[in-house]
Amino acid sequence: MESKRFISTLHCLAGVGFALVLSAPTLAADDSACLECHGSRQQVTDAASAMDLKLTPDRIGKLVVQPAQTGTVHDGIGCTDCHPKATEVPHPAGMLQDNPCATCHDDALKQLNKSSHRDPAGGSQLRAECWACHGAHNVRSVKDPQSAVAPINVIGRCLACHNKRAYLVGVHGQAVQLAGLDVAATCVSCHGAHDILAPSEAGSRVARRNISFTCGKCHGRVAEIYRKSVHGAALMADDNPDVPTCVDCHEAHGTPDPTTPRFRLASPQICGRCHNDRTMMAKYGLSTNVYKTYVADFHGTTAELFRATSPDQPLNQAVCYDCHGYHDVESVRKVGQAQIDKRLLVRCQVCHKGATASFLSAWTGHYIPSPTKYAPIYWVRVFYRLVIPGTIGFFLLYIAVDVWGRRRNRRSS
Amino acid sequence: MGPPPESEVLVNAQVEKVGRFTTRHIANHWLMLATFLGLVITGMPQKYAAAMWAKGIVLIIGGVERMRFIHHMLGTIMALQLLWHVVEEVWLHLVRRRAMPMVPWVSDVKDFVQQVKYNLGMAKQPPRMDRYTFAEKLEYLALVWGTAVMVLTGLVLLYPVRWSSLFPGEWILAAKAAHGGEAVLAFLSILTWHVYFVHVRHWNTAIFTGKLDEEAYAEEHPLELARIRRSEPPPPAPRQRWRVVLFAVVTVVLVAGVVALMVWLRGTGAGLGAFKAARFS
Repeated sequence: MESKRFISTLHCLAGVGFALVLSAPTLAADDSACLECHGSRQQVTDAASAMDLKLTPDRIGKLVVQPAQTGTVHDGIGCTDCHPKATEVPHPAGMLQDNPCATCHDDALKQLNKSSHRDPAGGSQLRAECWACHGAHNVRSVKDPQSAVAPINVIGRCLACHNKRAYLVGVHGQAVQLAGLDVAATCVSCHGAHDILAPSEAGSRVARRNISFTCGKCHGRVAEIYRKSVHGAALMADDNPDVPTCVDCHEAHGTPDPTTPRFRLASPQICGRCHNDRTMMAKYGLSTNVYKTYVADFHGTTAELFRATSPDQPLNQAVCYDCHGYHDVESVRKVGQAQIDKRLLVRCQVCHKGATASFLSAWTGHYIPSPTKYAPIYWVRVFYRLVIPGTIGFFLLYIAVDVWGRRRNRRSS
Repeated sequence: MGPPPESEVLVNAQVEKVGRFTTRHIANHWLMLATFLGLVITGMPQKYAAAMWAKGIVLIIGGVERMRFIHHMLGTIMALQLLWHVVEEVWLHLVRRRAMPMVPWVSDVKDFVQQVKYNLGMAKQPPRMDRYTFAEKLEYLALVWGTAVMVLTGLVLLYPVRWSSLFPGEWILAAKAAHGGEAVLAFLSILTWHVYFVHVRHWNTAIFTGKLDEEAYAEEHPLELARIRRSEPPPPAPRQRWRVVLFAVVTVVLVAGVVALMVWLRGTGAGLGAFKAARFS
């Protein structure tokens, strides 16, 4: 009886031991030899001193390799699969000179060699090595939240080299980080992954011509409307270098929320960047008075004061896009004056209930009053331009004579 | 020329003060001072919105909306002051049959010419003026005229939609140009004409204390001072029934007209509420 119980206990223990071995499957038989030296800082230090090698603390840290955990895509691949020279001890120089990833991921490397991250000299010294983004030993699927290239983590990978921190406070950055929206745009959504190209290159996802399609992956209807607008159509037709693309108004990285009062109040200045630029507008025969006349009008004055003093307060006055639209901006030359008046009245009536056609001229349509256009305004202005200096000049002249006369009379008396 | 000899004796003893304004005048001036300055402070930043100082004033007041609210309230008070003044003057002139000493007349042009001649040494004597000098009358004219322009154009700006049913919309912008131009004219006039005559030429505190030094009175208002000295009783003015009735009719018509105007204009301003409902529903 005693011996029987002893044997069954042994069986149990063996079973538990076997299960333990199974639960660490990546610890392949030959990997355990590597981990004897690379398992911890202490082991690396001991091995180095045994070989009379002097290592910096930073270097030691890099040489510590934790056994890859379950869930990495490289489950079951041993150390020597990527580090074939590791069988020699002490290890020879150039352990990573030949990119080990290329063995399996040749397609990705080919893409990379055509991208901005390729070796500028044409060699194999990539500007961003595979492991700079994917990690070295803990490579995981993009869909795995622990992956270095998962939406929440890939931002940090790119920002490590590229100083585009504005993204973090933009709508997309906030959506990914705070709202946990993995569908919101990260760096790779717009720039691509292995095939990233600079915006100046024609094939780039973020080249002027392609931006609307890149944004359109998520903002499809908006992008389509934009490409039909006066701005988008000019870009599509002849690569116009002046018209705005999505990022000219919305910013590429720090994209602000366009539904906020802050964006609304800043919008006239966004339009003004181009429409207040004399040289640019001259190319198209457009007037730069549009911005000046807007700011001089009641709506523009209010918007300007709101923007400067309370940028987060909702504004109840029209800004450029309330009348012109935003993604669907149309040239006023295409539609006749009659059509403009018709549409404008509808727009005015949104805020000015009961406005009739005679109300329309309460806005000069960006024209500066002259004797032939908006004459009453012109003449009132002329009147005060003459009367103010005339009156005040007369006052000052009289006062000067009075001061002089009183002084003279006092002296003579 | 010069002050009469007896006043020289008085200077050494105690300066004699002559009563010039009543409490009603003093209160009127304080009210006008407050509304005028308040309207300038809350109005100029709207005309010169691009300037840094304009934004500073808006920040101090606490926002454009609040500034506009204050501007409209003060404007309303000033409009009521104008209405009150008209009714009061009609009462004093029509019923009490008082003279209207502030209204400019041909004699003021003569006084002005005389004063200029005297200052230039072309005349031996300065003009002998009555209760109000031509300088004061000019300011009164400018004030009444200016207030009327500001109130009317201001009402047009407050209710643009309703007014555009009477005249083309561009008139509203013309009213805006006039409102701004008249404001600058009024402010600069106060800064030059008013400041010179009551702060620089004389430090004249009569409108706050109600009294003016006898010496200054003799120089600026010799005709009135002489009348005060003679202590002439005012001409008899028996109250006539038809005058009271006419006053009542004028007052009722005026007040009813203002009320009717406000009823007509009511609810035609553009508000944030209407905007929000249209945009976000």
